[in-house]
Amino acid sequence: MQNTFIAKNPSVLWFLLGLSLFTVIVSICSEAAGTALISTSFLKTLGKTLCLCLVAVAMDVVWGYCGILSLGHFAFFGIGGYAMGMWLMYDRTKDIVVASLENNILPATMDEITDAIGAQIFGVVGSFDFPLIWAFSHSLTLQLLAVILVPGLLALVFGWLAFRSRVAGVYLSILTQAMTLALSLYFFQNDTGLRGNNGLSGLQNIPGLETVSQATLSLWFFWASAVALAAGYLLFAWMTSGKFGSVVRAIRDNEARVRFLGYHVESYKLCIFTTTAMVAGVAGALYYPQAGIINPAEIAPMASIYLAVWVAIGGRGRLYGAVIGAAVVSLMSSWFTGGSAPDINLGIYVVQWTDWWLMLLGLTFVAVTLFFPKGIGGLFDLIPRKGDRR
Amino acid sequence: MRSALFALMLMICSASAATAQNLQPILQSHATEVTNPSRGSVGEALDAITGSGLPQATAFLEQWSEKNIWQRDDGVFFIGVAEDETLALTDVDTRATSTAPKTDFKQLKPNGGVRRLIGTALVQFQLIDPDLTRRETAVASIARRPEAAQLAPLLASIDAETDPALRARKIQLANFLSARFADDPTSRIAAINSLAIDTSVESRAVLNQILTVKSDVTRAQPEGNIAVIHDPMDAPYAYYTTLVDASLAPAKQTAADIKRALEANIVDGRIAGFPLTQMSDPDTRKTAYAALAADGLVPVLITDELRNAALNDHVFYDLYDEPNADITAAAQAALGSVTSRVAAAQVADLTLDALSLASIFFLAAIGLAITFGVMGVINMAHGEFIMMGAYTGYVVQLFVPNYTASLIIALPLAFAVTFGAGVVMERLVIRRLYHRPLETLLATFGISIALQQIAKNIFGTQARPLTSPDWLAGAWVFNDVIQISYIRIAIFVLALMFLGLIIYILKRTRLGLEVRAVTQNPGMASSMGIDPDRINMMTFGLGSGIAGIAGVAIGLYAKVTSEMGSDYIVQSFMTVVVGGVGNVWGTLAGATMIGFGQKGIEWLNPSNTLAAQTYMILFVILFIQFRPKGIVALKGRAAGD
Repeated sequence: MQNTFIAKNPSVLWFLLGLSLFTVIVSICSEAAGTALISTSFLKTLGKTLCLCLVAVAMDVVWGYCGILSLGHFAFFGIGGYAMGMWLMYDRTKDIVVASLENNILPATMDEITDAIGAQIFGVVGSFDFPLIWAFSHSLTLQLLAVILVPGLLALVFGWLAFRSRVAGVYLSILTQAMTLALSLYFFQNDTGLRGNNGLSGLQNIPGLETVSQATLSLWFFWASAVALAAGYLLFAWMTSGKFGSVVRAIRDNEARVRFLGYHVESYKLCIFTTTAMVAGVAGALYYPQAGIINPAEIAPMASIYLAVWVAIGGRGRLYGAVIGAAVVSLMSSWFTGGSAPDINLGIYVVQWTDWWLMLLGLTFVAVTLFFPKGIGGLFDLIPRKGDRR
Repeated sequence: MRSALFALMLMICSASAATAQNLQPILQSHATEVTNPSRGSVGEALDAITGSGLPQATAFLEQWSEKNIWQRDDGVFFIGVAEDETLALTDVDTRATSTAPKTDFKQLKPNGGVRRLIGTALVQFQLIDPDLTRRETAVASIARRPEAAQLAPLLASIDAETDPALRARKIQLANFLSARFADDPTSRIAAINSLAIDTSVESRAVLNQILTVKSDVTRAQPEGNIAVIHDPMDAPYAYYTTLVDASLAPAKQTAADIKRALEANIVDGRIAGFPLTQMSDPDTRKTAYAALAADGLVPVLITDELRNAALNDHVFYDLYDEPNADITAAAQAALGSVTSRVAAAQVADLTLDALSLASIFFLAAIGLAITFGVMGVINMAHGEFIMMGAYTGYVVQLFVPNYTASLIIALPLAFAVTFGAGVVMERLVIRRLYHRPLETLLATFGISIALQQIAKNIFGTQARPLTSPDWLAGAWVFNDVIQISYIRIAIFVLALMFLGLIIYILKRTRLGLEVRAVTQNPGMASSMGIDPDRINMMTFGLGSGIAGIAGVAIGLYAKVTSEMGSDYIVQSFMTVVVGGVGNVWGTLAGATMIGFGQKGIEWLNPSNTLAAQTYMILFVILFIQFRPKGIVALKGRAAGD
């Protein structure tokens, strides 16, 4: 089985090889390994990029393979980040609070500790009570489950409602965008209990691992992101190959015909939509501890559209295309907007990339949509391959 | 009581004929009170001065309260203005002017309380002053600080009032004053009853002032005009605090108090025999505290049972300041009727608000309804066309300083600019992507990012003002509850105009006929000699142009920023989808529903407009489940599928 799967999908093997090679090289160059050729902050950027690649792969499956242009997958990504961040923030604050109460004459009761944690976390929004959605934040296991289950459930309910009433095409895109907007507005409110526009912060400090240096922690997260990307890639490569994959692609190409062939189209779509949402949640849970902070602006509708942009530029309908797109565009974005790109002096006007990068991206995107629908990944089609089945 | 008497005396005095010819003798006979006035003593002097009925009394009182009265060493009073070491003097009676060295004179400096009394005495003159502005000032000063003494002169001045508006205002004010200060309970009740139909803030304030209460607590049965007796169990914590504040009960220990008490009683690392390490258990803490209390080391813990018993032993009540129960009952009834009237007015006000929000949504969405609804093209850059229109208005204002003229130039110019941009975009991008709607969505999104960034680079990130002309400033005030700003009315009118215009273009012109033909069947249309490319271009340009005009309108009341487009894009799509694609009436219905829905939710939870938007979007998502084709669904061949 494994042999035939790999044989049918040679790109998977190449991808895994490339990813492991990349991971090994980066590990050797990292500060934790002693060579320090790559700074810790850049290592974090690389780790975050791997997470973005993972959510881009998920987006590619739902859009490139199943034809659902979801403008909500970055919201699922954000929810995963929030679920992870809640535990990180709770547990770390608890450590701090317990340490500060240590000097008290009387040992603190549980209620006193909880109140102090609440005051510490929700002080910024003028509250000190724990909202209901923080009920599980004391338990890592439950919050890890929430990372997968909350986006999954949300996608399941939303997808069921939408697919059942045969909302498709651009209508579905607009509806998912509306969902994203509603979510981000909801997170922006102070009384939601997620600290409003302050978001959750200090997530780079992992409770229980205070003694481990940030350099080592970043490397661990980088490895975890690489493993998650590899696992996600394998999962989706397996899902999109074989009969299931064929049906999914057929739905993309002609939904009505598949329905008339007797397939229950809604179930297939729902399965893809929900699975990708859960993977997006996992990616977010790995991303935000590396970013250190999450706030509602991260899940604004714009972010989900950028996700679609990455996948389109990378080349949709092929998993490695999504990885390439996400990696290239997000790294280029941080290079251009970080101010390290050289200005171009036109004599009468100096083009500063921090100002003009978004315009370049927008126009590139239009050009890709118009002239290179296959994206960067389409370049691989130009390489002649032995035993090419197509 | 004093002030009522004073008012009565004023009436009598002003009615009696003037006996003296000169003011000076009157002043001399009250010289002590005039030179050294206090709030208690000055009344007599004021009565004498106002009672004289002399025309010069007004001027004297005004100057007195402005500290411009000087007394010569021999006791004669003058109106004087100090210039360095000399005084420019005016005789109080003859108004003859002279100068004299300052050293011979002493300035009279009445204090604030006295000046207020002088002001009150002045009011009766000012109310019948031949100058309209002075009468208005007097009325306004009464409205600002109503006093019992002003009632009589106010009532007396109504008959002679010639200005109808001021007369009405005087009657209203007299009503307010009678409701609060009239001597006779019957006339007070009559005045109060007449307030029942007045929804103004002033009238409500008058009623509330009559109904002011003082909260109190007692063990016995309370006496007086009781407003309400409270059940302390409704909010035991707050009522027990009242009890503690009234020193009728010991304070209930807080968690911090208990902790402090425990900490203060540590003996050999133990509290009441319990080791310190066990103190992390709240039950052990309670037991230890109880043990300490039993030994008399700490006050007994006020448990919830003890607290409730104490609460039940007392009566908590509100007492009206007004002793007469009939009056408070009448005021209560009047306030009830006013409140229901205010509620009705609020509903009307909310409807106006919702209508104006709906017209904003309609304006923002109508262009989209044409491009998306009629042509089936998703234009994510629609919001940026709105932004472009708003910036066009801003740029025009930089060159044309007259706001009215600049608005008249900006509207067609914004249409032209965005029409051009729409046509260019259609030719370069959209034309290549017909029948690939998802790709259109993405490509137009790319354009929207680029346009936003260009606007940011040109105009900067801070918001730019688009100032509306003066005749659009302010609001149309119907009463104290219902009011709407003129800009919103203008936007409503603009929305109506566009509705009419678009319906006219689509239904009554050659262009509209061709648009409808191309929409329904492009192949057939082109075989009938219609050029579908040209029609698509024109339609897209029209939709974009209207977005530009909407941008000017929106810019007038909201800030113009490079990101303003993205605020409207999702709402606009929602409006079109909810209303029903391909139908202008549908867009109207969608805008109305979303506008009213959002205002309705805001009314339920006024502090949180974000929540209103959130729930509105959720509602729309659910609504699409039940009516996937929107409120106004096309049927038959026009539906296209």
